[in-house]
Amino acid sequence: MSSRPKVVPLRGRAASEPSDEPAAPAAAARRDGLLVAIARTIEAGRHGLTWENLAALQSAVYFSWHSEEVDEFGRDAKFTDTIRPLLEFLYTVWWRVEPAGVENVPAEGPALVVANHSGVLPWDGVMITLALRHEHPARRECRMLALDMFALLPFLAPALARTGAVRASQENGERLLRSGELVGVFPEGVKGVGKRYRDRYKLARFGRGGFVRLALRTSAPIVPCAVVGAEEIHPVLAKANWVGRPIGLPYFPITPTFPALGPLGVIPLPTKWSIDFADPIPTAEYGPAAADDSILVNRLSEQVRSIIQRMIAGRLARRRSIWFG
Amino acid sequence: MGRIALTGTASFLGARLLRRLAETKGPERLLVVDVAAPPAALDIRHRAVDLTEPAADQRLLDVFREENVEEVVHFAFFTAPRRDAAYAHELESIGTLAVFSAAAAAAVGRVVMRSFTAVYGARGQNPAFLTEDRTLQPDAGLAWVRDKLEAEQHAASFARRYPDLKVAVLRLAPLVGPRVHTFYTRILDRRVVPTLMGYDPLIQMLHPDDALAAAEAAVDRPVTGAFNIVPCRTIPLVTALHLAGKIPVPVPHPVAYPAADVMWAAGIGEAPGRFCDYVRFPFVADGERARRELGFSARYTSRDALLAYLGYRHPHARLETAEASA
Repeated sequence: MSSRPKVVPLRGRAASEPSDEPAAPAAAARRDGLLVAIARTIEAGRHGLTWENLAALQSAVYFSWHSEEVDEFGRDAKFTDTIRPLLEFLYTVWWRVEPAGVENVPAEGPALVVANHSGVLPWDGVMITLALRHEHPARRECRMLALDMFALLPFLAPALARTGAVRASQENGERLLRSGELVGVFPEGVKGVGKRYRDRYKLARFGRGGFVRLALRTSAPIVPCAVVGAEEIHPVLAKANWVGRPIGLPYFPITPTFPALGPLGVIPLPTKWSIDFADPIPTAEYGPAAADDSILVNRLSEQVRSIIQRMIAGRLARRRSIWFG
Repeated sequence: MGRIALTGTASFLGARLLRRLAETKGPERLLVVDVAAPPAALDIRHRAVDLTEPAADQRLLDVFREENVEEVVHFAFFTAPRRDAAYAHELESIGTLAVFSAAAAAAVGRVVMRSFTAVYGARGQNPAFLTEDRTLQPDAGLAWVRDKLEAEQHAASFARRYPDLKVAVLRLAPLVGPRVHTFYTRILDRRVVPTLMGYDPLIQMLHPDDALAAAEAAVDRPVTGAFNIVPCRTIPLVTALHLAGKIPVPVPHPVAYPAADVMWAAGIGEAPGRFCDYVRFPFVADGERARRELGFSARYTSRDALLAYLGYRHPHARLETAEASA
């Protein structure tokens, strides 16, 4: 037993080194962090790069913005932190989101935020999440239930899951609400998000009341929420469904910038947004068995829809400009 | 007290369960019903039965009667796709039918069968947590999982027709851990791992110690029905590959499926193309029922299982950290 401190030389493994040398362990490189991993790779490059060096570097890059473990629905806290500046830029500068009535969302326990859906890409969900995280006194984290078309779309699907969105289904929603989470849904679904520009702010049918049944079964209050401004970020002039269907999309939007400008077309227009939350509608009084009462389900669904439509109408009446509110 | 008959004792999990039961129940209560004999040192009675032979059910019936078998532990399944699909079908589907027919005819009290969470099928529409009452709808074109599905259907059918036959089915998440050699560990042994571009499903990796504990609990407790045996948490596929120090190479999925088929046909692939579904969509199962009724909760997370496997495959990584902390 020597009291001499062990010095681990900062040295990548070169191909010419004897084979009994310990293989560059991925785990050790990962603990080193990104800068050390880069330094190791540069150093190793002088002796000849090995697969281990490259893998270690790639792993260090990956774990510099991903955590090693995610929550049960795939939310990655570190990844969320990484992209937070971009989202906050969109929230405060690009769309200048103006939330109102955030305190109507219960400070604790399960609740179901029900909002109108628009804007082609699920930016409205992201902004509702940010509004609640930043403006709510309890800093509530809202888990959005994402439509299948987003939750199954390559590239977008994993990104949504890492930022906390969950594929919309009764099972997933129920599991979240039962564990006391705040859950956001867009009952209009595809019909809402892919509206044509001329149909803007006309709420589509609220599905078949699945969100009401979800709230009734879990006794979670329903908080109606109206998003104004998202309808104009990607004005859908026409839909080329014959393009979308074969690649698995329910519709293919044609906007003034997409697909004409190519990748630039996904940059949303800088409209002025407002997000209003109404008083919560309690559902506990009906009991979980009421989820099978389709008359009640439809009545509540219609009630929520009319509240949202009214909030939207109020905002639109006061709004003088799409860009400045 | 009757004997406990075990099949598939040459498999990784079957062999470990056999050793464990020999310790806890004593070798005299066990009977190995398999083509391969158990290690002589264990001193366990062995009756050679080939589940793929035409009269396997009659032979099993004779064995069960002669040896006074009261419980059958059926673990004869392949964990990875095989090229000789016909043999796998005979063993897994028809062999399971023979086991259940003989068990029912011999009035064996109980059958514990191994199954896979893969039988739920990997689908984009799957809920985040599959429960046992979910309809099994795997890709019928994939022979590996179709045989498992048929085995499950035999189990369910016999459980329904013979109320005295108690059937427990353990749907194990993919095993990853020291000394495991399956499809998943073979992939992890490669330096460069192809993934599907734009997809990163959550996956479950079950530590063999947890699998063993669950199997032991199922032998001990008189539970019936299906049980998901899953690790504590999930891990995204790409995160797992980076943790393992692999180089993931994203391949567009329209290319990946036929490419995997070609490689499989050429004998250099690990699985047929349809197997890509299992790295594209989630098939994460919920272990709540096993926790409640079987008293089993996993001690290891998916990440633990992965790191344990890596430590076993790359022991130098462990040595260096041990040295540094010494």
